[in-house]
This record gives sequence, structure tokens and C-alpha cells, in this order.
Amino acid sequence: MKNLMEHMGVEPGRLQFSWISSAEATKFVDVVKQVTEKVKELGPNEKFIKKTVKVA
Amino acid sequence: MDKCIACGLCAEKCPKKVSDRYNADLIKRKAIYVEYDQAVPLKYGIDPTNCIKLTKDKCGNCAKVCPTGAIEYDQKEKDVKLSVGSVVLATGFKPFDPKVFDTYQYSKFPNVVTALEFERILSASGPTKGHLVTRSDDHVEPKKIAWFQCIGSRDMNKCDNGHCSSVCCMYATKEAIMAKEHNGDELDCAIFYMDMRTPGKEFEAYYENAKKKGIRYVKSRIHTINPVPGSDSLEVRYVTETGQIDTEIFDMIVLSIGLEASSDSIALAKKLDIDLTRSNFAKTTSFDPVSTSRPGIYVCGAFQGPKDIPESIVDASAAAAAAGESIASARNTLTKKAEEIVETNVRGERPRIGVFVCSCGTNIAGTVDVAKVAEYAKTLPYVEFVTNNLFSCSQDTQDKISEIIKEKSLNRVVVAACTPKTHEGLFQETLLAAGLNKYLFELANIRNQNSWVHKNEPEVATEKAKDIVRMAIAKVALFQPLEEAELQVNQTAMVLGGGISGMSTALSLSKQGYKTHVVERSDFLGGQAVKLFQTAKGESIQAKLAELVSEVNSDSNITVHLNTNLTDVQGFVGNFESTLTTGGSAQTLKHGVAIMATGAYPYQPVEYSYGKDPRIVTSQELDKKFIENDPAIKDLKSAVFIQCVGSRNSERPYCSRLCCTHSIDNAIELKKRNPDMNIYVLYRDIRSYGEREYLFREARELGVIFIRHSLDSLPQLSIDGGKIMIKTMDHVLHRPLEIEADLVSLATAILPYRDETVAQFFKLPMNDNGFFVERHAKLGPSEFATDGVFLCGMAHYPKPIDEAVSQAKAAASRAITLLARETIHTSGQVASVNTALCSSCGVCVSVCPYSAPSFIEEGRDAGKAKINPVLCKGCGLCVGSCRSGAINHRGFDTDQIFAQLFTLNEAV
Amino acid sequence: MADFEPKIVSFLCNWCSYGAADLAGVGRAQYPANVRVVRIPCTGRMSAKFFLAALREGADAVWVSG
Repeated sequence: MKNLMEHMGVEPGRLQFSWISSAEATKFVDVVKQVTEKVKELGPNEKFIKKTVKVA
Repeated sequence: MDKCIACGLCAEKCPKKVSDRYNADLIKRKAIYVEYDQAVPLKYGIDPTNCIKLTKDKCGNCAKVCPTGAIEYDQKEKDVKLSVGSVVLATGFKPFDPKVFDTYQYSKFPNVVTALEFERILSASGPTKGHLVTRSDDHVEPKKIAWFQCIGSRDMNKCDNGHCSSVCCMYATKEAIMAKEHNGDELDCAIFYMDMRTPGKEFEAYYENAKKKGIRYVKSRIHTINPVPGSDSLEVRYVTETGQIDTEIFDMIVLSIGLEASSDSIALAKKLDIDLTRSNFAKTTSFDPVSTSRPGIYVCGAFQGPKDIPESIVDASAAAAAAGESIASARNTLTKKAEEIVETNVRGERPRIGVFVCSCGTNIAGTVDVAKVAEYAKTLPYVEFVTNNLFSCSQDTQDKISEIIKEKSLNRVVVAACTPKTHEGLFQETLLAAGLNKYLFELANIRNQNSWVHKNEPEVATEKAKDIVRMAIAKVALFQPLEEAELQVNQTAMVLGGGISGMSTALSLSKQGYKTHVVERSDFLGGQAVKLFQTAKGESIQAKLAELVSEVNSDSNITVHLNTNLTDVQGFVGNFESTLTTGGSAQTLKHGVAIMATGAYPYQPVEYSYGKDPRIVTSQELDKKFIENDPAIKDLKSAVFIQCVGSRNSERPYCSRLCCTHSIDNAIELKKRNPDMNIYVLYRDIRSYGEREYLFREARELGVIFIRHSLDSLPQLSIDGGKIMIKTMDHVLHRPLEIEADLVSLATAILPYRDETVAQFFKLPMNDNGFFVERHAKLGPSEFATDGVFLCGMAHYPKPIDEAVSQAKAAASRAITLLARETIHTSGQVASVNTALCSSCGVCVSVCPYSAPSFIEEGRDAGKAKINPVLCKGCGLCVGSCRSGAINHRGFDTDQIFAQLFTLNEAV
Repeated sequence: MADFEPKIVSFLCNWCSYGAADLAGVGRAQYPANVRVVRIPCTGRMSAKFFLAALREGADAVWVSG
């Protein structure tokens, strides 16, 4: 799936995978923080957004 | 307790701090507390010995802050009288307290911890949040950690625990691997042990893997620990295998504490008048491993003897079966029938959605502006009714919701509250009570995944709540009422295999009223047991086996098919159709469940000149001499037992579990019949786990000599001028040793039958060694992932008779959970194929782990896929894999997930 | 760019990560509120279509967790 994304011009960082068991609450929180940080670094997504013009 | 909503306000305001036993006293908790985050039910409780209100009549904070009035200080212990037919003891064990040992200085040095404390330190929910640091004040990451095995086990000197605790070798290995995972490969982990005991399924491979990861195993028992001046590190002195004294400095020492019977359990046993073993565990027999000495009282788990999780789970199911057998006639006599409410047909109606936004006291409302969320929900499409509840899950609110559904003719419901994992079922019941299909419901999780985790950002949380509610509404609008398939369960069982396991499982099923067919490939019942002499507890196997066979043969519920093979299986859970072929004739058997008790057999060795001299025999052949009372035994001068013949090598990298005990038992028998005989046992690790350790001790006391070797220095056997000579290295004297033997007994590996045809029939997986793979290694040891098929005995893994009988009863117990229901209702949230779109590619058939999809064989849609809703677990793997988009997933359909996504960013 | 708050869509497995997320709530752990959760029965349910749809609808990233 990552390859497909890259092929389509989407930064790989926009698709994240992880494995967390149902008991690993702390890991969940860590991953949420990491993912959020990484995406903040990438900045807003500008590809593939619906092309409809927003009426102001 | 009904009123507690686990909001946690009480604990927040409680002024009394108490050492937290769950976290091995490494941190503090409050006097009002939940023992741990995953506790079920999730309710707070007061610790009466520490609560200031209860001890000094001061404080009372918790009652003041509790939003639901759940706190009653005057609750007392109550005596409840129950009239029951069977009692099961599952009181567990007590971890050994190493304070009694001054050698290990557990109380004195901060960095000497018990394995249980270390477990909490490693845990992500533990006192250090999973950061592995020392217990010194600086809390640095340790560089070197040592584990000391057998603390409070196999020790009659310093404590009274002569037994082996069975689980510590594995848990120490696991902790060492995890420690390395936490702190990196540079972390040095050393395990100081006496014998490595990893006789469980897949355990030996785990141990080998740990060695590859660089975990050091040092065979030495440690007697001195000294503090290193100026630090909290510890100096360990030990004798190496070559006899030298070595010292090493470790940052942390983990004591692998053993399991013992708790004083409470011992007191209970006295009160119930049941017999205890030497180590004060509940006494049982090999053929009735979960029955105590008193009829009607059963035991399971670590109070029966120290054991790991899978054996405890097996025991638990077995005890349930045994407890059920004796009171089978009372089954279903106390059940009540629920009132049936007719479901309103809402198909084709325009969605009329009701939204219930829950405040959960202050749990949600304290962070999220619930009024705003409710107002916002009113503006969304198809929403007919919105209200806010203080506690949506309380009984009166449930009734109210049900009334509103009827009054406003709502046909879809969204509750914005907690998590579907705990409350979906409850609200689905509410829908049912209102005559609405239960799948027309969605929970918007604005508590666990919103208000609780964004406490400091109320505005952001409110916006997120709106998003969550909007997405839920968009999804629920597309929901359709779902039907649950109903299936009749044929009340007959088929047991494959007529050994001890197969017969025991058949008897258990029969005693609980089910017709059972035992299918045996050979011409006799009894399997391998017909060649065995006695159990580790000294019971005569032949006598018990004869009883078992005659009981099976005279049981009117049991039909035995000898010389019979399984040649075909059709159908699925509840409705199997098997073809049994006896000689040339075939017959069809319809059955609801199948139990694999196909067993295993001993390896015929090529090693150690086996077959070239009648004096070189296998353990089973020695048993035969005992059974036949061979008089020649009295004239033998020396016997040598060689362990691990064909086990624990590259070809068969698993431990056969029972051979150490078998050889020790036979060595003792030889000594008893001929006390003057010289007996040697050549071994790699003696694995007499549990109370079998007492046999090992007895053998040594009787003068049996145990000599260790390793895989790369195996003993050499030669036959020279009629003499059998065995050369091996003496591990104490470090000198080669030559022994002349009149008898050599080879403890050979136990091999699985690796029956691919049977595995194919039921789609059962096998591991690399050829043993069947159970549903879950720890929690589902006696059943398969394939519904309606169960597993017991040596087909699962080599095991002694007591464990085989226990698992046989467990398999029966698991099977009865299906049989007793008579009909099965499946979930409505399953996948289904739109044959018009199906391209017959077969991807779904190959990816499904539960064999639910198959090809339609005849008719218009022949060649296309269909999915059996009974077997479908609703995982969606096929839906995601389908190239043609032909599979719909009820309850998680593509358009429903799209609907959630499409409303993701809608302008507010 | 410092105050950019991304919107992330997470597809969480009902049995694993979704449970962990609930448990994080029980433990009152605090974390950024940028994630919107879509509960799926198993990560096997995930499909490239969902990823693209999420981006199309303005999500800045997709996180799949089993």
C-alpha cells in the first residue's frame, strides 16, 4: 500500500502503521503522539483533496 | 456497586495513600481504588484497613464527591448460603517470599527484586511506565542483570518447598528477552540455574532462541551476594562448571521466586476435609486429575500443583466438566426464559435517528460541552430526536430511551457516551426491548477516547465530540436491520482416537448425556498406555486402563469403531458428516462436534546400537519387563538410562516432556526390585517439573547416579566382546568415565502422527514438529480455530497421563459449551457475497482464516464464492481483499465507512 | 506552520488498538486531539480506498493500527 501511495505522489509519512495490543495503553498514547508529531512536520496535505470549490 | 460509574473522582480526592500491592508495592495507590485498569467489573472499592473514614470516622471525601451516590460506608461482609452439587477450588498459589533468606539480602539491597516486581517494572502500565531502571535512587538503566533460579523451589534446606515450581525457567527467560527488548542488545542478561526446565509446547525453541539473542545461562547456584562499596550494584560469587570460583558485578538481581500453596488454601482444605500433597497442594490421582479426595469437590490451576497458564486453563475446563458430570441431571432446571419482543420492520423507511448524548456525571460533561454537542446533533440530516442524559447506562434511563424509541418511532439510535467494547451490548438490549433490530445502533465514543484523554482542552474536545457524533450519525443512517443465522447443533460427538485421552473425553461427554462415537484406527482401545507400567504417582496403569476400557465398552451412550479410518468429512460446526471406513465398508456419521485425540508414538531410535542387542531397550520396553515381572531384573548389576534420545536435537528441536520423570520412575523401580544394582542416568537437564521433583530426590537418595552431558558431547556406546560399554564425561570430576551396563534404557522422543488427511478434513493447522496448533497457546489449548473441533492428549503435545486426562475432560467441556446450546446464533455483522459482481478469483477462499468462504458448486452461480455466516467471524479480511468489490460487510460496509470519512471535515 | 493542527484519521482494530485506546482513557492518559477514530473489525478490513477517501476529505494523514 505504501508503494501505491508513493507512486501517486503522496508522502509516505501520511500513511502510518502500528501494532498495539489491547493492554498497551501507554504504547497507544506514545504512538498517537509520534504520529501527530510526524504529520505536523509534514504539514498539511495538499494532494487528492476534493476539487470542489468552497463557497465562502 | 451498581451505581459506581468508575469516574475516579473518589480516588482523586482520597487523602490516604497506600502501598500498591498490584504493583508489587513499588508505588502508592489511594485507599479507594480499582486494583488495575483492566479490572472487571470496573468499580472502585474501599480498602477498609486503610480508609480514614472506616478506621477513624474522619474524612468522608469520597461520599461527598461521588456524583452517583455509590458510596456506602456501612456495607458489611455478608454470609451467603448456597446449595450446590459441586464445588471447584481455584484458589491459586502464593508467590514465595524471599525475605526468609538472608543469603540474597532481598530486604536489604534495593536492586535485589523478585521476578514479580521485575514483571511490574517491565510493564507499560507499571510503576515506571515500562522503563527498565534500577531501584536505586538515581534510577539509571541497568547494564547487567542476573536472574537466580529456584528461589523457594527445589529447596528442602532453607525452606520446605521440595517441589519444582515449573514456570520460573520460562518466565526468567521471557523477562530476560523483554529486558533486552526494552533496553537494547547491549544489556547483559545472565540466568543462574540448576536445570533449565522448558518442557512445554514451543518452550524449548523459545529457550534456544534466547541463547541466540545472547542471554547467558550459567549452571550454578549462588550463595553469596556482596554490595559493591559506593554503589548499589552487587557482586556475585559463583562456582563455574569447570569448578573455578568467579565473581561478577550486576546492577540488578532478579530472584525467580517459586510458587507455593497459600496458607488460606491450606486452611480451606482442612475445613473441607480434603487431602493435601507433600507440598500442600490439593491431592489428586492421575486418572482423576481434577477431583480432590472428597467426592464433589474439584480443583484446578496452581492449587492442584504449580503450573503454567495453558495447563491451568486446561484444568479449569476439566474441572468444569467434572463438576458437570456429577450433576448432569440438574442441567437447565434453574433457567428462566426471557420474554420475546416482536421486532418492528423498519426496512425501507427513511432513517429517523435518535441521538442520546451522555454526560456520564462529570466524566464527559466536565470536559465536553454536552449541550452544544446535542444542539449540533439536532442540525444533522435524519436526526429526529436529541436529548442529554446524566447517566445513559442506568436502568431508568434505559427504560426512558426505550420509551422514546417507541414514542418517536425512531429507527436508528446513536448513543454518544463510552466505549462499545463495554456498553454496546447493553444499549443493543435497550433497542431490542423497544422492538428495534439491535444492529441499528452505534455508540459514539466521546468518553474513553475523548473527554478522558483531552481533559485540559475542553474546546478541542467539544469539537472532537461533534466530529465523532457526526461520523456516527452518518454511519448509522446507512445501517440495515441484520439477521442472525440460526443453526441446529447435532447432539452427537465424534472422538478421533481411542487412547486414554479419547476414552476419557468420550466418558465425560457420555456422563453429561451426549451420544459419542469413538473412532480408533487400530484393533484395540488404550493407545500407547497398553505398554506402560505405572504413573509418577505410583498407580498401576494396566489396572486403571482395564477399568477405563470396560467402562467405555459398557456405556450405552458410547459407540466404539475399531479398525476404522476417517475417509471424508463434509459440513461444518453443528452439522458435520463424516465417512467412517471399516475394512472395505463405509458408513456416514452425522455429528455436531469433533474431538482430535489422535495421540503420538515413541521414536524408534537408530542411536546407541538400538536393535543390535536385546539389553538395549526403550523406556516402553523396560515398562514391559516390569509389567511381565521379568525375573532377570534381579540379576542385573548395572543399568544406564540415556535421556533425550531423538529429542532436543536439530531434527526434533522440542522436549518430549515426560521422559525424565519416566526414566527416574523406572530407575527407582529397578532399585526397589534390586537394591544392589548400580544405576546411572545420563541427562542434559532433568525436567521433573512440579512435585515430580520429589521422585528425582528419592532416586538420588536411593543411590541413583545422575551424570550430565551436553548436545555436543553425547555419550558413546560400544559393544565390545559381549560387554556394553558407555563412555561419557563426568561433569563433577571433569574426567571421562566408562560404565559397563547390563541394561540400557533409552528415553526416546515422542513423535506426532502428522496426519495430513485429517488435518485437511477439518482445516487444522500443524506446527513444524507436526503437533496440532490449538486456537490459542495460552488461553485456548483444547480447541481449534475451526469452530466445533477440539483437541486433547498427545496430538497437542507430549504429556503424562494426568495432563492427558485433564485435557480430555477439557475438550469435552469445551465441546459441551456448543452442544448444550442446541442452536447457535451467529453475529449479524458478517460478510456476504454479491454473486453478480463476484469474479470467481478465489482470493476470499484462500485468505479466510476460518474457512468461511467457499465456491458454489451448482446452479446459476456455480463457481462463484459464498460465505457461510456461521463460520464467518466478521474480520473483514475477505472484504478488503476482494478485487471485484463483491463482498459486503454487514455493520462495517464500505459505504458505511465512507460515510464516516465523508463527514470528516464537514463545515460546522 | 507552528500552530498547524493536522487532522489524522485512524483505523483501529476493534480487538487491539481500539481496546488500547479505551484503556488509555481509563488510565486518564492525555494525548493530542488530532485523531479521529474509525473502528474496524480487524486491520484486514483496511483498503486503499479508505486511505484515498480520507485524504480526499481533507485528512492530513491516515494511521492504521492493529
